[in-house]
Amino acid sequence: MAKNNNRPVIHARHLTRIYRLGDSEVIGINDIGLDIAPGELVVLKGNSGSGKSTLLSLIAGLDRPTHGFLNVADHNLTQATSPDLTYFRRKVVGMVFQSFNLMPTLNVLENACLPGLLAGKSADQVTSKAMGLLDWLGLSTRWNHLPAQLSGGEMQRTAIARALINDPDIILADEPTGNLDSRNGQIVVELFAELNRNWNRTVIIATHSDIADSVASMTICLKDGAITDQTCDI
Amino acid sequence: MKKHLGRALTVLLGIALGAAVFTSVRLSIHAALDSFTRSMDVIAGSADRVMVQPGGRVPEEWVAKLMQFSVVRDVSPVLTAYVRLADKKSEPFLLIGLDPIMDRSFRKWQFSERTEEDVESWIELLKRPYTLIIGKSLAEKYAVYRGDHLFIEHTRQTAFFSIAGILSPGGLAMAEGGMIALTDIATFQELTKLYGLVDRIDIKLDPNTTSEDLDHIRKNLPDNFQLGAPSAAKESGQGLIRAYQLNLSILSFASLFVGMFLVYSLVALNAASRRHELAVLRATGASPHFLFLVFLAEGALFGVMGWLTALPISTILVKYLLKGVSQTISILFAKVQVETLSLSPWEILLSFAITVFTSSVSAVQPAWEAMQVSPNEALEISRHGMTRKTSPRKLVIGGIGCLFLVVPLSLLPGILNMTLPGYFAILFLFVGFSLFAPWSLIQMGHALSPILHRFVGIPAYLAGRYVRDSGTRTAVSVGALITAVALFASLVIMIHSFRSTVELWAHQTVSGDLFVTTKMGEINRFRYPLPRTVVDGLEEFSNQVDIVPSRRYSLTYNNFPYEFQLLDIHVFLRHGDFVWLKGDPDRVRTLLKHGKGVVISEVFSNRTGVAMGDRFRARIESSLVELPVLGIIRDYRTRGGVVFYSLPQFNIRYHDVPWGGCRIFLKDRTKNPEMAVASLKNEFIRRWGDTLEIISGQALRNTILRVFDETFAITIVLLLIALAIAALGIATTLTVLVLERSKQLNTLYAVGADFGQIRSMILWEAAFMVVAGELAGIVCGFVLSYILVYVINRQSFGWTFLYEVDWGALAMSLPLIILTALAAAYPAIKMVFRESPATLLREN
Ligand SMILES: Nc1ncnc2c1ncn2[C@@H]1O[C@H](COP(=O)(O)OP(=O)(O)OP(=O)(O)O)[C@@H](O)[C@H]1O
Ligand SMILES: [Mg+2]
Repeated sequence: MAKNNNRPVIHARHLTRIYRLGDSEVIGINDIGLDIAPGELVVLKGNSGSGKSTLLSLIAGLDRPTHGFLNVADHNLTQATSPDLTYFRRKVVGMVFQSFNLMPTLNVLENACLPGLLAGKSADQVTSKAMGLLDWLGLSTRWNHLPAQLSGGEMQRTAIARALINDPDIILADEPTGNLDSRNGQIVVELFAELNRNWNRTVIIATHSDIADSVASMTICLKDGAITDQTCDI
Repeated sequence: MKKHLGRALTVLLGIALGAAVFTSVRLSIHAALDSFTRSMDVIAGSADRVMVQPGGRVPEEWVAKLMQFSVVRDVSPVLTAYVRLADKKSEPFLLIGLDPIMDRSFRKWQFSERTEEDVESWIELLKRPYTLIIGKSLAEKYAVYRGDHLFIEHTRQTAFFSIAGILSPGGLAMAEGGMIALTDIATFQELTKLYGLVDRIDIKLDPNTTSEDLDHIRKNLPDNFQLGAPSAAKESGQGLIRAYQLNLSILSFASLFVGMFLVYSLVALNAASRRHELAVLRATGASPHFLFLVFLAEGALFGVMGWLTALPISTILVKYLLKGVSQTISILFAKVQVETLSLSPWEILLSFAITVFTSSVSAVQPAWEAMQVSPNEALEISRHGMTRKTSPRKLVIGGIGCLFLVVPLSLLPGILNMTLPGYFAILFLFVGFSLFAPWSLIQMGHALSPILHRFVGIPAYLAGRYVRDSGTRTAVSVGALITAVALFASLVIMIHSFRSTVELWAHQTVSGDLFVTTKMGEINRFRYPLPRTVVDGLEEFSNQVDIVPSRRYSLTYNNFPYEFQLLDIHVFLRHGDFVWLKGDPDRVRTLLKHGKGVVISEVFSNRTGVAMGDRFRARIESSLVELPVLGIIRDYRTRGGVVFYSLPQFNIRYHDVPWGGCRIFLKDRTKNPEMAVASLKNEFIRRWGDTLEIISGQALRNTILRVFDETFAITIVLLLIALAIAALGIATTLTVLVLERSKQLNTLYAVGADFGQIRSMILWEAAFMVVAGELAGIVCGFVLSYILVYVINRQSFGWTFLYEVDWGALAMSLPLIILTALAAAYPAIKMVFRESPATLLREN
């Protein structure tokens, strides 16, 4: 895929998401302007409730902004239809979650294959790709284990395999180390750094810890739903 | 709970429906049983013994003769017959003839106004012939008062009576729901032309009477008289009604049983969604037992609320059921006239207890699971997507064990006319099949997953995997479906077999173009023979028709009521036949024509234990009949069994009996038989219309089938309610499965599934469960139908039928059930993504 290093892969203007709860309104994010170039490793920081997850969910195409404009990898997400969004989620982004969110009834390999199969790729092709990823992640001997039989670190690595199976340009991780001990957290952060460095993926890690600070090429601080210029004191 | 208000209300509705059905079935049959018992009691009065002549009547002189025995304190002669108001063509009501003075110590009867008029009424009844005292209901129904005249029609005569008084409710006036009339015995005899005869003599004995004293009396009676217990008819009637009550109770319990799955799925949802909370509770010191009790209490609460909600539904349902049930009981077992619904506190308590118990039981499994939540989970991340499961193989072994028990249990005889072992067999059958559910889901998942993946696509594959591995939850809903489908299939098979056998029987055994009996013949048990003039007159038609005369006696065999029917077998067999069950028909027909023995019905054989080759013994009027049993036939006439013997042979071998009625077959059926029958009927009516009841065979057979269908209407309604609850159950289970997995579904969406894929996955899950449930349900249903036909019916009612599967109805309805069940997936599918998938990112 040809990359245009000058055009930002993520481009947001006045991006706002307001949640309506009955009569009251809660601000998720408010009037955010943002440009992220391809190949960055962004650490998104901020206190709990500052809007990190809200921003990620918009970038991931899981939610729509209340106002503003958002373009991700040449997809205008403010105007995308539902099939556009599906295509976008399948091809453009891969997601990693705090609590892994693996399918409990599927084994490691099947979990890793899932997005590929959902995207309609052939099972053989997806399986060999997944085996390669699991090998790289050190899970090749565990491919037929169920999530319940894995440690937290192993589960998160399975989730990373799943996020990579469709070769997305952008990896979005929401608090990926939140449920891991520091050693496993470190391993996961290393993996993201490697993805960014060697595979040239754009990675956004939302976290309120400083575990990923050392690998960040860019840090964005959120406070009360807006980007602040102050240093991120959490 | 607030979060799941809609589902909680659905569950409540399900339980309430189940409880309402159960309560109203119990209450209405109880009311019928109660009114039957009361009626029998007040008519029997306080007699210790009754003297009767089986099949005949007792000469009045025995009143005086009995008084000569030292232990006999009081006697009271009684005659009863059903009569009706001639001008109003009313429903028949009971006319009792007794001696007002002799009867005073036997039966209580009070007048409605306790004034001097009472005394007058009393004296009038004694003094003036053709006076009546009538029950209050009767008076109110026809708006008649003291002093009015009633034109009363009896089988033999019609006459004017004047009303001497009206009985107030209480005592004898409560018999038949107050639809009774009393008259002096002499008047009764004159009306019915039974001069010098009574139906029975009630006897009161000295409290110190020994069995030797009774034997002494018996020895002094001619052989054809019996000294019986007054309660025999009551007990046999009660036995039959109780068996019916048990059957309907069990069927209505099916609704509650299916409702259990509803409670289960909601309590399980609650337990699962509060798992973290539970872990915290445990960590802060709550004992496992406490958590167990909390969820058990939740189940019980559903029971209590469901039962309370059921009360208003029951009041509506019970009215409908009361009518249907008492009609069925009247036709099948014993005449009942239910006026009021007696609310038995015991029945209400029973329905409450059963409702609360079943819904508590359904909470046991989720409660047990809640108890297993370890306090550690409060600290750990939620890893519980997979609950550890009992190995499906172990369940299968349990299932096989249960199924093995089915056979011996269904071979056990009933207990006290109740087919309790049979019902336990059914219970084990259901449990056994349900235990197979997880295993068969796994097998199905294994077998289907790859195929589905290749040919149907990833949603079907995921659905197969989920259903395969999801453990108890889906297995339980499949179990519910198995139960409902099995119930459905087996009842369809049973009712169809029953109906087509009855149709065959009606066609062969109830054959004939015209049936002639005396007026009100059936309700008075054919006790009045056809008048001589009619018999002679019928002979004139013998060039056009074959006449099969008959005489029917209502008798008892060791307290079991049956009908002894004398029939001109020779002529009958030219046109009709029995439905043979045992014995070589050709051989038996010949022997029967020559009077070499009797054929007995299956019911008679099953109920009395008299079998092929045994000797049948009975006292019929003055004769003692002792004949071998040549064959056993199927017969579905109501009120007990039947024994057939040749009428001409009886006249030769025993004593002459007059015709009680006859059936008529056209000799020439080639040209327009309907017309010929109709003109014959008109001719008969013209000649003897005022003394006879003439009905065409076609009409009679239609009535039999109509009664059959009406009888099963209740069954079908109960079945439909159970199915409706099962559909609610599937709907709830599927929505619960969706809610529980909202995180998984959102994840699927996040990793690239679209709405269509997720919806089709859920539909496939529903399809798997429905198909698995339906397949297993059909197999289970076939086994169940065998048990219903050959165990439950045999033990409850004494009959079986020709087993015949209604493939048409099954083929039509089973896809319909699948569609209904899939439609039940609709709310679940709607439920997906009611919240944005982005909530996935909101941890804790
Ligand atoms: N679905 C929702 N409905 C209502 N309010 C929401 C919703 N999602 C987020 N919010 C609100 O929006 C604000 C931002 O939440 P968000 O989850 O994005 O914060 P966060 O930075 O990810 O916090 P954390 O570090 O705790 O994950 C918060 O005030 C939150 O309460
Ligand atoms: Mg967050």
